[in-house]
Amino acid sequence: MASLQSGSSALRGCCQVTQTLKRLHRLRAARITVPVGTARHMTSLSDQDPATDGMGIHARAVPVSPSYFSRQPRFNDSYLLLAQLAERYRKLPLIPKDQVQPVAWKNLENFRQAVGEHVKATEFVKCMELVKVLNQIHPSLRPKEVDDALLVFKKAVQPYSNIEKTIPIDKFGRALGTGRRKQSVARAWVVEGTGEMLVNGKTLADAFGRVHDRESATWALRATSRTDKYNVWALVEGGGTTGQAEALTLAIGKALMAHEPALKPALRRAGCVTRDPRKVERKKPGHVKARKMPAWVKR
Amino acid sequence: MSVPHSLRCLLRPSATTSIPQRIAPITAFTAPFSSSSILAKNPTPPSSKAKVPLGSRAKVLPGGHIRAGKKMQLGKFKKNRQIDKSRPPAPGERKAYRKRVTLSNNNALPVEGLEEMNAQTMVDPAKVGRMLALPNELVDQLRAVEAFKSTQTWNMFRQPSMLQRKEARELAEKMQTAAGKGDTLKLVISGDRLVGKSMLLLQAISYAYLNNWIVLHIPEGQEMTNGSTEYAPIPNTQPAQYSQQAYALRMLQSLRKANQKLLLDLKTVFPHPDLVQHFPVGTSLLQVANAAKEPDTTWPIFNAILQELTAEGAGRPPILFSLDGLSFIMKMSEYRSPAFEVIHAHDLAIVRRFVDYLSGKTKLPNGGAVIAATSRGNSPRNPSMELMIAKQEANQGLIDQPPAKEPYNRKYDDRVEAALSNMEVLKLQSVSRSEARSLMEYWAASGLLRTAVDEQAVSDKWILGGNGNVGEMERATLLTMRY
Repeated sequence: MASLQSGSSALRGCCQVTQTLKRLHRLRAARITVPVGTARHMTSLSDQDPATDGMGIHARAVPVSPSYFSRQPRFNDSYLLLAQLAERYRKLPLIPKDQVQPVAWKNLENFRQAVGEHVKATEFVKCMELVKVLNQIHPSLRPKEVDDALLVFKKAVQPYSNIEKTIPIDKFGRALGTGRRKQSVARAWVVEGTGEMLVNGKTLADAFGRVHDRESATWALRATSRTDKYNVWALVEGGGTTGQAEALTLAIGKALMAHEPALKPALRRAGCVTRDPRKVERKKPGHVKARKMPAWVKR
Repeated sequence: MSVPHSLRCLLRPSATTSIPQRIAPITAFTAPFSSSSILAKNPTPPSSKAKVPLGSRAKVLPGGHIRAGKKMQLGKFKKNRQIDKSRPPAPGERKAYRKRVTLSNNNALPVEGLEEMNAQTMVDPAKVGRMLALPNELVDQLRAVEAFKSTQTWNMFRQPSMLQRKEARELAEKMQTAAGKGDTLKLVISGDRLVGKSMLLLQAISYAYLNNWIVLHIPEGQEMTNGSTEYAPIPNTQPAQYSQQAYALRMLQSLRKANQKLLLDLKTVFPHPDLVQHFPVGTSLLQVANAAKEPDTTWPIFNAILQELTAEGAGRPPILFSLDGLSFIMKMSEYRSPAFEVIHAHDLAIVRRFVDYLSGKTKLPNGGAVIAATSRGNSPRNPSMELMIAKQEANQGLIDQPPAKEPYNRKYDDRVEAALSNMEVLKLQSVSRSEARSLMEYWAASGLLRTAVDEQAVSDKWILGGNGNVGEMERATLLTMRY
């Protein structure tokens, strides 16, 4: 039970928000009403308070968000919500930090961009402390509203939730890896063997005239000292020789990882895991090529 | 001489041609212009009458030479270029530099404990996959017949040495059995580019020299047929055959240089009445060969030597007749007949002789071998030759099915197909890993490969060299500036 500690100590930070709360109470006291539907963020008092129905229409509108007149209303809203939730669920058990499933949070830049407000760094840090504490609540007990409140702070794309496709090894012991570079696509069937290689039915020397290209094509095997352990049978199409050779690097690298997953860090360091996204830049109108401008001519 | 007169009949009659031609003296035909003043037909007499157009700045010098005045120069021609005033290379000097063969490199480390190549090691199964050093005497002989090529990497090592491949031993054994039985081995070496066909041929020649054979080697098939040597029709041949005397002299010279000892011991058995010089029966062949000094008188001597070497029952040694670049002699040559028709390469007498031996039309009576190597680097496509080689490979079980003859291809040549109908093919494959390893150990011992030669390194280079293509391995390891 040591792992499930009380949330109260961790939520001590939330007392800092009381000042903001007080300010909002003051705001609520100064109610105003405006004609119905004048502004999106405003609402007439009559909607909020049925007791005043008989009294007629108020002159001033009341914002939906109590933090409407603050500098960062959206941020403040979520901050307040988090504070309330933390207060409400402080007794729920927390799991230790290292057992929490990793989440990619927005950083300050991302958050500012997402809400469109200039959020102060110090406040954001404090807010993120709250977020992380709430995220520590045991997942089976975590209420849905907490999850919803945390959603704002999560990055849209969660790399940690990405489920990798594993390459199967078929009944003949082959692993098929694909790789791309520029316009080339390579498929490599890698099987345990003595170190022979055929590319499009030809030997490496016939397939690639340049020694550098041959070295690129075999780089995944050579970087991991596996040249004499596997046989490769590959098909490459599209693009030029350099593209084909480097597409093969990736294809063989991936197929190799299917055989030996532990090689991934070594292969990543060797540059055999990430696809090179560079390709020919498109030509633009008004330019001679992608960037080149026509020569300046006097008149 | 008759050309100017016959061309004149095409002229229209005019005032200029009204003078009867027979009156005008008919002189020997000379070129109307020559760069040397002595040879020029009408050397311009130095005269001071040379005229200069009015208003120009040109001057007439005392010798009659007109010096041009100032001329307008366009901007791009104005730049004073650096003119190299040093002596230009003499004719043939550039080619000699390009073609020179360096067989030793003092910067390379000497490799200790290399076995020397000899007649026994070449057929010894235990020596397969070992490096064998060529003995100096053999190197001189091989150099004399131009068996070394400038494209091979001899210049990187201290001493010429070769890998004894599986195929080299097989070939040596075949030559041994053929010579033992008095048969002729008719063989074509085929294989991929840079796989070592010329080197295998070199090994065959080495075997021949080490076993005291006579070697006739044509180092480049293309030199026979590309129109670079002088040629002449041989009288009384139908259809006409052509002799190449300069080339024959070259072959004789290399023969007497490489096989000197052997030729000294061999004595003539035929009288040769058609030779200018009289050689009584029993003269040594070296003496006959030495009589060939100039191309003009070489052809009868060349024939006499070949007749003597192939004399039956005179205790002649086996002969190796070899050629590199087979596809060049399996096509129409660049030579023309007097009727200006293209001459087929098989009508050139030396080539004809080789082809007849290769096809089995004539036999080497004392046994020996006729070996031709194909080349892939700079050789013309030769559909008939490729077809016949593929057929033979299929017969030997080296490939599944030979390619069918294309029905609409007109480039097939019946003479080529007849010439190659009765030979054996040695399809040279890439080296095994153990052979690659000993080769790489030799490179490392010579100081050219700076990595440890282990299973991993061998495997790397073996793959980079296209699954063990020796030339490609060499290219990937020695000829790239990496280590």
